Amino acid sequence: MSSIYFVALPLLFGFATPLLKRFGKNGVAYASTAMQAALFLLALNLAATSSWAVEVISINPPLGISFILNGASLFFVLLFMLLMLLFSLYYLGLRKEEPFPDENKFFILLNMLLASSIGLVLSSDIFNIYVFFEIAGISAYILSAYRKTPKALEAGLKYLLTGMVASAFLLFGIALIYIHLGSLNLAVLSGSFHTLPFNMKLLIGLLLFVGFGFKVEIFPLNFWVTDVYEGADPLIDSLFSSIVVKAYLFVFFHILYLFMPASPFAPFLLLAGAVSMLAAEIIALKQTNLKRVFAYSSLGQVGLIFAVLSLESRMAVEAGFFIVFAHSVAKMAIFLSLTSVIHAHKSEEISTLKTLNSPMITVTFIFSMLSLLGIPLFAGFVGKFLALKSFASSGEFLVLGIVLFASLVESIYYFKIAGNLFGKGERGAKLRLAPSQKAVFSILILLLVAVGTMPWLYSGFLHNASAAMVDTATYANLLTGGLK
Amino acid sequence: MMIESLFDYFNQGYVIQSLVDTGSMILFFIGFFGLLTQRHIIKIFMSISVMEIAVFLFFIGNIFDVKFTAPILGDGHDAFVSMNDPIPHAMILTAIVIGMAVFALGVSFAIEYYKLTGKTNINDISEMGER
Amino acid sequence: MNFKRDIPSRTYSGFALSALFILTIFNILLESGVSKTQRAGDALLALSGKEGVANAVTSVVVYFRGFDTLGEIAVLFIAALGIGLMLHGDRRTEHEESNYILQKASKLLFPMIMLFGVYVMVYGHLSPGGGFQGGVIIASGILLLLISDGSFEVPHAVISVLETFAGISYVLIGLIGLLVLDKFLGNFLPNDVAQMGRLFSGGIIPLVYIVVGIKVGSEMSMIVQNLIQRSDDD
Repeated sequence: MSSIYFVALPLLFGFATPLLKRFGKNGVAYASTAMQAALFLLALNLAATSSWAVEVISINPPLGISFILNGASLFFVLLFMLLMLLFSLYYLGLRKEEPFPDENKFFILLNMLLASSIGLVLSSDIFNIYVFFEIAGISAYILSAYRKTPKALEAGLKYLLTGMVASAFLLFGIALIYIHLGSLNLAVLSGSFHTLPFNMKLLIGLLLFVGFGFKVEIFPLNFWVTDVYEGADPLIDSLFSSIVVKAYLFVFFHILYLFMPASPFAPFLLLAGAVSMLAAEIIALKQTNLKRVFAYSSLGQVGLIFAVLSLESRMAVEAGFFIVFAHSVAKMAIFLSLTSVIHAHKSEEISTLKTLNSPMITVTFIFSMLSLLGIPLFAGFVGKFLALKSFASSGEFLVLGIVLFASLVESIYYFKIAGNLFGKGERGAKLRLAPSQKAVFSILILLLVAVGTMPWLYSGFLHNASAAMVDTATYANLLTGGLK
Repeated sequence: MMIESLFDYFNQGYVIQSLVDTGSMILFFIGFFGLLTQRHIIKIFMSISVMEIAVFLFFIGNIFDVKFTAPILGDGHDAFVSMNDPIPHAMILTAIVIGMAVFALGVSFAIEYYKLTGKTNINDISEMGER
Repeated sequence: MNFKRDIPSRTYSGFALSALFILTIFNILLESGVSKTQRAGDALLALSGKEGVANAVTSVVVYFRGFDTLGEIAVLFIAALGIGLMLHGDRRTEHEESNYILQKASKLLFPMIMLFGVYVMVYGHLSPGGGFQGGVIIASGILLLLISDGSFEVPHAVISVLETFAGISYVLIGLIGLLVLDKFLGNFLPNDVAQMGRLFSGGIIPLVYIVVGIKVGSEMSMIVQNLIQRSDDD
């Protein structure tokens, strides 16, 4: 059971979609969902084995490209497949009433986004990572501009401009790496990166930081995020905040751990993450647009994940992975609920929640917000608690204080939103949800509560994942030894 | 005789490298300056494209070894010895196509936006903003 | 005539900022000296001889880093899709009659351009050239026809079938390599060194490059047609 299938099958499906159009107008939708279900089962199957697997492409590493499946990448692959499957099931319910225009193109873009996100997590070659960045990026640009309204096109333009600039800087960094170190394989580079003179390391580090930083939404470089989230359809926002940005975060920290472990730059990254979270939560206070306020909330949580992962200890990485899981599930639930609400009410303001008449969506909102805040009994609590513990044990009390203050600010606007949900007043017509949509919301809520109340079921898995992420020695030996 | 010594001078490694570095950095500067100051959206796209081209020039120029030839057999070359490195060529091929594809996509977004609203100045493209 | 105009202040600050940035980078680059490390490309150059392909760049693009090429044609595919999504349905009905010379000459040149494009595509593993280059030449031939003849339209069904077939076959070649050799995109067709220099050499490499050429040619033609806004269908 090779991990290539996760990338090759969605690519094949994307290329073959014009052919599948012939099987009626439902053919593409059901075929895509079936393929994603099959890949999810494959991921569960692979999760049973816990050893590292190297998948060779064309020729053996270190001269060729290869896919490495270890605990950390397996965690992300499982998370992405689960979320994409739930997304597809939700969309199958949505398309009965309001399908996307030009639906076949939508499925092609969806599958390309899936293939590239998984490819980013699995790949072990820096230029291959660049190519997957471009595939994910170009799918995301088109998806955000899909509706072709001026707002959507503006979102697409902003995303595309920042993406192009990021690619130029990233390519510059990769060029410098190849010129001075002579290889594109991450394992070989991790061994030889420290031999560079300090100035060159600084330059390459800065170029890679700017190149990745636009996508990872870190503080000075995240001015584009909220406009893109506001202009795009909320269905697409769910994909962006729960799958795409997590893949970019994984790549950033994977390369950081391999190239510059215990570097003098880590405190700056820590501070950048904390400031990013604080700024996002404060600006979120005065937002009145639903998509925008949750975009700022996403920025805040991503800043927290960034700060936690830059501590570089195994416990911090485990905390980071817990937060990744909780945030992805909660944001997918929130944005899918927002899709239903916005499609039914035709309004994007927070005040429209006052007329919401759907117990399922109300419960989804409340549970997701409680999880994001880190209230005990929900999945977010475990992650936040471990994160605060990691900050304390590394002696970073300033960052601890910033994170606590930012969480306080976050709770203020979450209570404001919750107040709108429970306010007295005229309720509108009952919002009807398709059966598959109800199933998706139930599964998401169940995940939040299950991981929150019984974290010991999953902490073993995440323990392996975090251990694999910081285990750069095994990574380096695996590839340069030349398996298969 | 003078021509040959001139060639020998230019064929030294550090001379070629300095020339390539200078030229590509000037090009990168032009692109970056355009990115910061231009307001018309197509000009911004062109500036980013110029930045990318500067990176390509920098990359190929620094890997290039003057005494070696292109890595293709034929015309008297029988074996792959004393030839230039083929990896940068492959990488730049990929990067050129990707850059062109994204540029074309961006231009189509800009065309559609212009048809809907008639605006091309990046300062005016701000339907969304902090409320 | 007065050529003086107001230079806005942002130009000065932009100039200063970018000059500072570039000079810093430049300084670091010049300090680093000439690098003569042993690079991965030299090892690949030696390996390329064993694959039986005369053009080392082709063997790197298609075989040793074939996965990147697969990703690249995915990007091109998605870009063509997006441009079709944005610009379809806007048919510009009135267009000027083009120049007489252009009309006659393009009818003469078009078959030659197409032949040259196919040649570059098919001989990509023996001389400089390949799928991308050949595909773009073919698209430039189509562009010539689009400019010279106002009523020419690329037949959408043919292009769509070609593109789908090419895309599927690239991934299928990779999957067959996975099943036969346990390596995705492994070289499973015969590739003796003795055949180097002939048309049928190098295993899957010429096959993949032809597939890439067909896909790039059809996609670039679609992009060009959409941008000229002649298309009625996506």
